[in-house]
This record gives sequence, C-alpha cells and structure tokens, in this order.
Amino acid sequence: MSKIGHKRARAGYGFISPSLIFYSIFFIFPVAFSLIASFKRWNGLVPLFSAAWVGLDNYKWLFGNDLFVSSVINTVIYSVVTVIAGIFISLVLAVLINGSKFSGFWRLLFFLPAVTPAVAIGTIWGYLYRANNGLINQILGWFGIAPIRWLTDPKTALLSIIITAIWAGVGMQILIITASLQNIPQDYYDAAKIDGAGSFRIFWSITLPLLRPILLFLTATGMIGAWQVFDLPYIMGINAPAKSVMTVSWYVYETAFQSLRMGRASAGAFILFCIIFIANILVLRAFKKGGIEGYE
Amino acid sequence: MNSKSKRIIKEFFRYLIIIFAAFWMVLPFFWMVSASLMTPQEITSIPPKWIPEKPQWHNYIDVLKRVPIGKYYLNSLLVAGTATIGVILTSSLAGYAFAKLHFPGKKPVFQFILVTMMFPVFIFLIPNFFLMKTFGMLTNHLSLIVPFLVSGYGIFLLRQFIMSIPDELLDSARIDGASEFKIYRSIILPNIKPGLSALAITTFIGQWNNFLWPMIISSFSPNLMTVPVGIQRLALAFASAETQHLVLTGLVYQVVPMLIVFVYFQKNFIKGFVVSGFGNI
Amino acid sequence: MKRCILTILLVALLVSSMAFAKTKLTFAVHWSDYQVEGIKDKDGKVVTKGLRQYAEEYMAANPDVEIEIQMVPFGEYLTRILVGRLAGAASDIYVLYSLWGVQLVESGVLDKVPKDITSALKNDFVEAAVGGATINGEVRGIPTEVANYALVYNKKILKAGGYDQPPKTWDELIEMASKLTIKKDDGTVQQYGYVYDTSSNSGTVHPYLARLYSLGGQLFSNDNKKCLLDSKEALAALDAEIEIFRRGGTDSAATHADFQNGRAAMVILAPWWESSLKIAFGDKYEETIGVAPIPPMKDPKSVSYTWFVGVDALSKNKNEAWKFLKWLCIDPLSNGSTRMGEFLANNIGAIPSRKADIDAFPDKLNDLYTSVYVQELANTVPEPNVAQGEEIKNIIWREIKEARQQRKTPEKALADAKKQIDEILSEFY
Repeated sequence: MSKIGHKRARAGYGFISPSLIFYSIFFIFPVAFSLIASFKRWNGLVPLFSAAWVGLDNYKWLFGNDLFVSSVINTVIYSVVTVIAGIFISLVLAVLINGSKFSGFWRLLFFLPAVTPAVAIGTIWGYLYRANNGLINQILGWFGIAPIRWLTDPKTALLSIIITAIWAGVGMQILIITASLQNIPQDYYDAAKIDGAGSFRIFWSITLPLLRPILLFLTATGMIGAWQVFDLPYIMGINAPAKSVMTVSWYVYETAFQSLRMGRASAGAFILFCIIFIANILVLRAFKKGGIEGYE
Repeated sequence: MNSKSKRIIKEFFRYLIIIFAAFWMVLPFFWMVSASLMTPQEITSIPPKWIPEKPQWHNYIDVLKRVPIGKYYLNSLLVAGTATIGVILTSSLAGYAFAKLHFPGKKPVFQFILVTMMFPVFIFLIPNFFLMKTFGMLTNHLSLIVPFLVSGYGIFLLRQFIMSIPDELLDSARIDGASEFKIYRSIILPNIKPGLSALAITTFIGQWNNFLWPMIISSFSPNLMTVPVGIQRLALAFASAETQHLVLTGLVYQVVPMLIVFVYFQKNFIKGFVVSGFGNI
Repeated sequence: MKRCILTILLVALLVSSMAFAKTKLTFAVHWSDYQVEGIKDKDGKVVTKGLRQYAEEYMAANPDVEIEIQMVPFGEYLTRILVGRLAGAASDIYVLYSLWGVQLVESGVLDKVPKDITSALKNDFVEAAVGGATINGEVRGIPTEVANYALVYNKKILKAGGYDQPPKTWDELIEMASKLTIKKDDGTVQQYGYVYDTSSNSGTVHPYLARLYSLGGQLFSNDNKKCLLDSKEALAALDAEIEIFRRGGTDSAATHADFQNGRAAMVILAPWWESSLKIAFGDKYEETIGVAPIPPMKDPKSVSYTWFVGVDALSKNKNEAWKFLKWLCIDPLSNGSTRMGEFLANNIGAIPSRKADIDAFPDKLNDLYTSVYVQELANTVPEPNVAQGEEIKNIIWREIKEARQQRKTPEKALADAKKQIDEILSEFY
C-alpha cells in the first residue's frame, strides 16, 4: 500500500475504533455470557459458574416443545405478513401522497404512530379491539357485521396484532420511500409520458426498479425488527390462547423472568438469532434475483 | 371518456384512499387524547364513548400528583440526548470509514456489525447489567446511556448517505493536504446533515420510548426512572384502580414531547431524505 | 500548625463517622405510593400510617439503624431480586409472594427464621398463612397478608333477574350465570352472568383450585412427585367452569372490568379488590355489592395465597433485619395488634395473618366486603408451595384457556397440563 493508503487505512481504523471498542465490551461479552448460559441449567439466582452444565439439552428441549414451536410459527407469520404487507401499503401510500396536495401534512399524520411507544399503541388498540364495547366493533356494527372477539379468538388474535403492527410501521416507511421517490429525475417520467406510457406502466417499469435498493433496506431492517417483536404481542395478546399469539421473544421473556429458566431462555434467544440470520440471507438472495447485489 | 374526467376520477380515488388510511392513522390518537380526559367509567362504557361528557382536565394534574413526571422528563431527556449524540458521532465516523476509506478487513468488519444487529435484545440484558455493576455505573445515568452509544443501524444508514458524496470532493481536499479527520469534519458532516438529523430523530425517539432496559435499571435505582417506565407504574398492580385510567393521560404526557420534537425537526428530516436521497438511486 | 489542625480534623471526622456508623437495612416492597408514604388529608397530614412512618418510628427508637424503602412494582419484583443478586446489591428484607418462595429457598436466597419468631408463628398466626410461608417443611418468613377468594356479586343485577340470594351451590351458579347473561341483537353482550379476573394466572387458577379442594381433590401428590390433574376431581372441577361457557353464562371476551363497570353479575375475587370496587361503584357501593362464600361443589372450601417478609441469606445485617421485622410483625401494641397488622388492615385493606390482628380491627375486617373472607379463612386451603410455581400456574392457565375456547376438551387440556407439569416436578422431587 502506498503511503497515502497507509494514512487512510490508519484513519479508517481510528474512526471505527470507538465502535469496535464498544462492541468488544458490550457485544462480545454478553454474547459469550449468554452462550455459556444456554448450555447450563441456570435460574439466575445463583452465580453462573456454579450452575450445572447441560450441553445441548436446552436446545433439544425447546425444539420439542409445542409452545416454542408455535411461537416460532407465529413469529414467522407475523414477520412475513407485517413486513411484506407493510412495505406494500407504504409503497402505495407513498406514491399516492407524493403526487397529492398537502403531502407534507399527510406524511406527518402517517408518522404519528412512529413517535408513540409500543405500550401506548398496545393499550389504545386494546381498547379499540374490545369485543363488546370497542370502537372497531361499533363501526362494524353500523354495517351490520357481528362483533368479532379480535384479541381473544385464536383465529383473529394474531391478525389483530399484525394489523396494529403494520399501522405502527407505515409512517417511517412512507418517509423513506418518499425520499427515494423524489430522487428519481423527472426526465425519466417525462420521456416515458412522451412515449405514451400510462401511469401504471411508468410505475412498474421506472419507479419500482429504481426503488429496489430502498425496498431491500426496508425489508432487511424490517425483518430484523419484526423477528424480535415482544412489546406489542405481549401487551395485546395476553388474553388470547398462547399458542396462537405468542412470539419467540415473549416466550424467551416469560421463560427467563417468570419461570426463572435463564439457561433455557438464552438458548431460545440464540435459536432466534439463527432464524433471523437465515431470514436475512433469504431476503438478500431474493433481492439478488431482482438485481441488487448486496448492501451496496 | 376524455382525459380530463379520467384525471378527475384518478384524483378522486387518490384522495379517497389517502383520507381513508389517514382516518385510521388518526383514530387511535384521537381516542387516546379523548380518553385521557374521561372518567374511569367513561373509558369502558357501553356503547363506547367517543368524546367525554365533561373533559376531565384535572386528570393531567392527577398524573402530576401521582408520579413525578418532571423528574422522569429530566432523566429521559438526559439519557436520550446523550445517547443520540454518541450514536451520531460513532455512526458518522464509522460510516465514513466504511464508505470511503480502505483498509484490510473492512468488508468482514462491516458484515460483523450487520450481524450484531440480528441478536435478540434479551441476550444483552443480564450480561449488560452485570457489566454496569462491574463498572460501577448502576446508580447513575451512565447505565442508561452507555449500552446504547453505538448503533449498527446508524452505521449502516450513514454509510449509505456518505457513499453518495462524490469522491472528487474528498480527493481534492486530500490533495490540499487535509487529514482524514479534517475531511470528516468539514466535508462529510455538512454534506450529510439531513441524514444526521434523520438518525438523530430516530435514535432520540427510540431512546425516549425505550422500556425494557430502563425498567430493569430503575427497579434497582428508582431515581433513574424514565418517562415510559414511570407511566407504566400507573397501570401495573402497583397502585390501585384509582390510577389505571390515568395511564392514558400519562401516555399523552409521553407522546406529546415526541410530537413536538418531530414537528420541529421535520423540516430538516423530510427534506433530508428528499435532498440527498438514499444510496445511488 | 496547619498540618496539626488538619490531622485533628481528620481524626475527629473519623471518630464521629464511626460513632454514627449506621446499620443500613434495605427493604424492597411491592407497595405503592400511599401504602408507603401514608394516607394524607388535604393538608398533607398523615391520617393513616404508611410503611415509612413505621420505619421512622423504629429509626427513632434505634438511632443506629437506617431503613431504606425500595418500591418495586409487583410485576418487576422477581426481576428485581434477580438483578439485585447479580449486582451483588440485593436488598436485605423482602416481602414475597409465597409462590416465589420455593425457588428462592432452593437458591439459598432466604434466611431461616430465628427460633424466637417461629414459636410466635405457630401460636399466634392463621394456619393457612403459616402454611403459605412454609417451604419444604420449614417456615421461611413472617406471613403478612393472607388473601383467599370469595364470590362477589352485583345485588341489583341479581334482583332484576329474579334472584334474592347468591348461588349456594356451583350448579346454581351455572344456572344463574346463563340466565343473567343478556345479549343484544347485534351480538354484543350487554351483561354477563359470570366473569373472571383476567389480569393474572391467579384469576383463573385459584378459583379452579378452590373447586378442586371442594371436591376433596389435590393438585399434587403429597410428595410433590406427581401432578394429580388426571383425577376425576380435577376433571370435574374444570368441567364445572367450562359448563358456564357452554351454557352461555360467559365467554372469552369477558373480563373483571365488566364487573367493575356494572355489566356483570358474579365474579370470584380476592379481598384486595375492595378499594377498586368502592371507587368503581362510588356511593352505590353499599347497595350494589354483595359477597358470599364460593358456592361449593361438595364441601365449602376456598384457596389462599400469602405474602411473607423474609431476609436475604446473604445479607450482612441479618440480625438487625430480623430484629426490625420482629418489632414490626410480632411485638403487640396496646390493642393486641402488631404494627404490621395495623398497616395491613388500615392502610392496605388486606387481611392480616395474625389472629389477634384480625380481631383488633372489626370495622375494617368485619365490613360488608371483607367479613366473608375472614369467615372463610376457616375453610381455606393454601395454594401449594411447589417449585416453579409460576411456571406451573402459567401452564394450567394456558390449558384452561384452550378448554374455554373449545379448542381442547377438558380432559385433553388437563392431560396436556399434567404431562408438562410432571416433567417439571421430576426435575425437583
């Protein structure tokens, strides 16, 4: 490497050093700690090193446990539907708002949920979803639809939470998509219009391909977040049959802090990590087919 | 059908969809503010009430009497503010390194950082608590701030923004003999202001609304309680039914500052995404 | 000269600090603002003492002791104990829900109760309460409040439905529940005959246990090695509840909030709901609320859980801690009650575990609401103190919920629960 290259490399290392130091303390240690815990039978009340070593028992137990497996399935459904439907709805709304009057105002309205804590969202939607005196059933009643037990019926509980989750995430996604939309040069559109293309064709052949990098970012980060979801299902799903609504993070939390099985909970968390990792690779592969190489 | 009436129909449907969606966006908020002014009986009445009979403005005072919101605000402000500054600094520095500088091991290190984002939060809870004790930070605000000073998301995000800064700008500065840090300070930072404010807002709001970690810390050091944890105390089996309805009022207390922050910064924010875009689109 | 003065000052400081070296006791409690700070009138004067006032009294009489009260919400309490020990900064004194006791004892968290206190416990305290504080045959703390369950009903709704009396048997309850449920044309339920406390696993599991005990059944075998949910009593006890669902007396959307809002006829609750109900019904409280023993399936029985105060085994101030607790919970005042009894009855509105304390507060404990609970103490069996109690209750709760929603038959639900619980029991017994 040239002298200049050396200088830049040194600067490079220097600039990432605060982050690396941070990670070496607040990432490596916790991961190592939790990994060891996952191989032990530990209740959190005694020192970790005195807890019994059980090898892969925690992992094996989890894979054989109905509720844990149901939690994984629920989390898959939750993540896939929330992210895909969410991005789709955000895309449509972003495009519609972009060409409308008062677009800034609309975007602000849609961003309201993003500033709200999950607890507030869960509490408010919990009230809205009430079977006998919730606003949603009241509105449905105007149209002659029978009341639905949104949050207690196993058929609708997860769906209700997903709807709320999509509602909560739309604002931020619209914002990010809008930014990319507005970065597309007007010339492309003008040229297409001159060629006689209709608005849908324009959207499909010009807008969408140019939005792919953004959509990849949103899908990837959305998935990572959705897989870890705890707050919303925990607050809203507490009265539904657990198998239909529990997510992996909720399962881990309960296993740790109520059943006092820290070792098993840690194993669950690591299984979750593996799933997130695989999901991410799948997302990348899907987008590669669409012409995006990686996170570049 | 001529093109003019086609356009009118299109516009009609456009606004129809937008307003329909916006209605559902606002409805929960409207109800939250409305319910914050209701009596406990009104909140759970059948049929559901949309507007209180008489706005119970005193609910807001009751919350102040029940919980020391002022103290919570101070804690939350201090923690969110400091963490945001930390994230901005570390993310922009690292983002610059990954975007524009070359050094051996760059790719694997970046991928490592991406992977760190995939680990569930639970893995960090107990060990970080242990670390806070070891570093003697359990009883002061550092315990709420330090674990959040670096964010993989922030590094990822700012790297994207910095990548769209033309290399020529940097090279000409280097030819003039500027050090990398000087380039960082005088060229990179000003050119990603919108990205910086975007990250600042998301980090600040995320820290403000963070619940799990502050709850663990403040169950140990109550003087460090933040707004979300404090408000939840109104709902848990901590105080009786007298205060459960005040939770909604408390939530308004929690949400309103964030709305103000957002509205105030939204000019920068939205423009930010708009102007510099995202990546090489 | 200067150095001389400095040295003298330093020595003086050292000596004075040693003279004032206080023993610090930290007391982690799940009680809330007025329960700790005292009930104050509008001028800010303390009308009913809170924990802090008692602590201050003790500190005044024992100037070398400092008591710090740490308020932790119930939902966070276990977490707090956990992280407190991890941080090497556990509290000295705890007030614990009895079910947490087993795990804590097995991890060496709880200190043994000193001899001078155990004899008082045997003689002066309600048996069910002492049972709650007994883990693996040994008493590990001083019981504070004992909470059992009773049937709370809305007199007005019953009367409107043609009933002058609350149900005397469980079958009557099933009958009344379905008669008193009113559905509107649009399908929403306007009034429930029976609702249940949905806020915790206790709201479902405890009434179930009461029915089980009423039939003469048990949850576990005496050696705790087996779960007895496959017994016919266990099945009958669950079927009795599911029958209400089948007959339309309640549904999965019903919650205790419906009762508080005057939209339900009957609910099985613990004594601490009194203040919520008083607030919910306001001045209509007296004429609306009625309390009766849980309608038995066979023998009249209720179930209880207790709280007890204990000392951390790793505490450096164990003796001082027990001394304080003895002063608070064992030493009687002039009226025969202990300070803890006074605090529980007057401030919290809970039932004390000490017999003389219960007798000392007739106006609090013999009122419309609580008197039935006190009466039923004689028929009360404590919930079993078994390892992983919370985990087991969660399993039972989940399975009962499945049965309620007809996703499983009661037999299958109990069988599934038993399978999971037996596995847990085999880890410890």
